[in-house]
Amino acid sequence: MLGPRESSLWHMISAPTIWALHFCVVYGWTASVCARGPDPAAARLGIGIATAVALLGIAVVGWRAWRQWDYLDDYDYEHDGPSVEDRREFLGHAGWLLAIVSAIGVIFVGMPALFIETCL
Amino acid sequence: MAGSRRRAGRDPLNVGRVLPAVLIAILLGGCSGVQSVLDPAGRDAEVLARLFWWMLGGAVILWVLMNGLLVYVSRIDTRPLSARAAEWLIIGGGIVFPTVVLAGLLSFALSEMPEQRAPGSGLTVSVTGESWWWRVEYLPDGAETPVVSANEIRLPVGRRSEITLNAHRVIHSFWIPALGGKTDMIPGRETRMSLEPTRAGEFRGQCAEFCGESHALMALGAVVMDEDAFAAWLEKEAAPAVPPESDAARRGQAVFNAEGCGACHAVRGTAASGRVGPDLTHVGGRVSLAAGILPMTAEALMRWIRDPEAIKPGAMMPGYDHLSDDDLSALAAYLEGLT
Ligand code: HEC
Ligand SMILES: [Cu+2]
Repeated sequence: MLGPRESSLWHMISAPTIWALHFCVVYGWTASVCARGPDPAAARLGIGIATAVALLGIAVVGWRAWRQWDYLDDYDYEHDGPSVEDRREFLGHAGWLLAIVSAIGVIFVGMPALFIETCL
Repeated sequence: MAGSRRRAGRDPLNVGRVLPAVLIAILLGGCSGVQSVLDPAGRDAEVLARLFWWMLGGAVILWVLMNGLLVYVSRIDTRPLSARAAEWLIIGGGIVFPTVVLAGLLSFALSEMPEQRAPGSGLTVSVTGESWWWRVEYLPDGAETPVVSANEIRLPVGRRSEITLNAHRVIHSFWIPALGGKTDMIPGRETRMSLEPTRAGEFRGQCAEFCGESHALMALGAVVMDEDAFAAWLEKEAAPAVPPESDAARRGQAVFNAEGCGACHAVRGTAASGRVGPDLTHVGGRVSLAAGILPMTAEALMRWIRDPEAIKPGAMMPGYDHLSDDDLSALAAYLEGLT
């Protein structure tokens, strides 16, 4: 669906995409739960589930990106040659770093759930 | 030519030398006083001030460390780092360290939030943002009808009061820096906050969301009183207006009625019952006039009534510059007497 790993950009940006979706889901869910009738417990539960699912997704994406980079194979983190291998490793390397940033972002976005007590 | 121009343009004050001093004075001036975050007089403001000092301390330490490092590697020891050391510096200093610091600061800040929204006990004050003044209604525990006031909020010290916020037509934001954080006032949507003052005194609030021409002139007197003094004040505020006592004040009331001020302003206990403008039943007892902008003096009252537009651009009150000074001062005497 996302195209071949070694040339498609989609694999590289799927972690930030999960982060963006998580952001929308958390904000939308909290707003609608609180508008229907203040229910901080439901808001917290929903944010918790969304955050767990997003982190799981990012972990999978990140693991595959790490494999694609296969750093431990050749300890190579310069990928500026015009070869299929360099392109594959570059996309994997970037995808791995983006997965780390996305995981941090998802945790920060989800963190208020630990403290939320009212809807107002 | 150039010399004469320079001489002509020479500033007798020597801006270069005076400016830093002025800036420092302005900065330090913000550290105390009636409208300062750094001079807290409420539980919530204390939390925010503490947060600020922690953040400032952290920022200063980081700044010194970063610049120290920069000086060290560019001036003191300029040998190149090994690839391995550079890698650890980037991963440790560029990813792990900021993530840990930010996560710590974020959880610290978030953990302070529930308390900022703790429910009040007893008094509820409902404040509505208008252009460019505040409608204020007090609802003590169990009361059915609110005590209506304006442009000033009074709270008892040592207990948490509930503040409900609304806005008429445009967005405003309610902020009394010495007492607590700020909360937006949004038309059609009620928001809330609570405040627990810890020190009696007079403070000042300010609208903190751009709301039109006179946004910057939309301030708010805030008075924190001992529990007993507050109860006595609220009882007085709930009572109808005191009848005018002096001749001037009586004449002022006649002018007030003749000019139709009562179409917009209420003076409870009289025929004046307008709700467009601030309630004037006890206007003379407020600490300031026109939403924290003028002192509560006869002179200021006359200036305001003669030409509100000159004091607050866009003010929703017509000017009365056709009135004689006599009539104006009679009006001022009447309003000042409405304590
Ligand atoms: C069209 C409605 C209208 C009329 C008529 C009107 N006012 Fe006002 N008045 C207002 C509004 C609105 C404000 C608040 C303006 C602001 O602060 O931006 C105000 C503010 C005031 C204030 C300041 C109140 C405070 O809490 O500090 C005084 C005093 C006052 N008016 C007196 C008068 C007098 C006296 C007259 C008659 C000569 C009069 N007004 C006629 C609308 C009106
Ligand atoms: Cu405003």
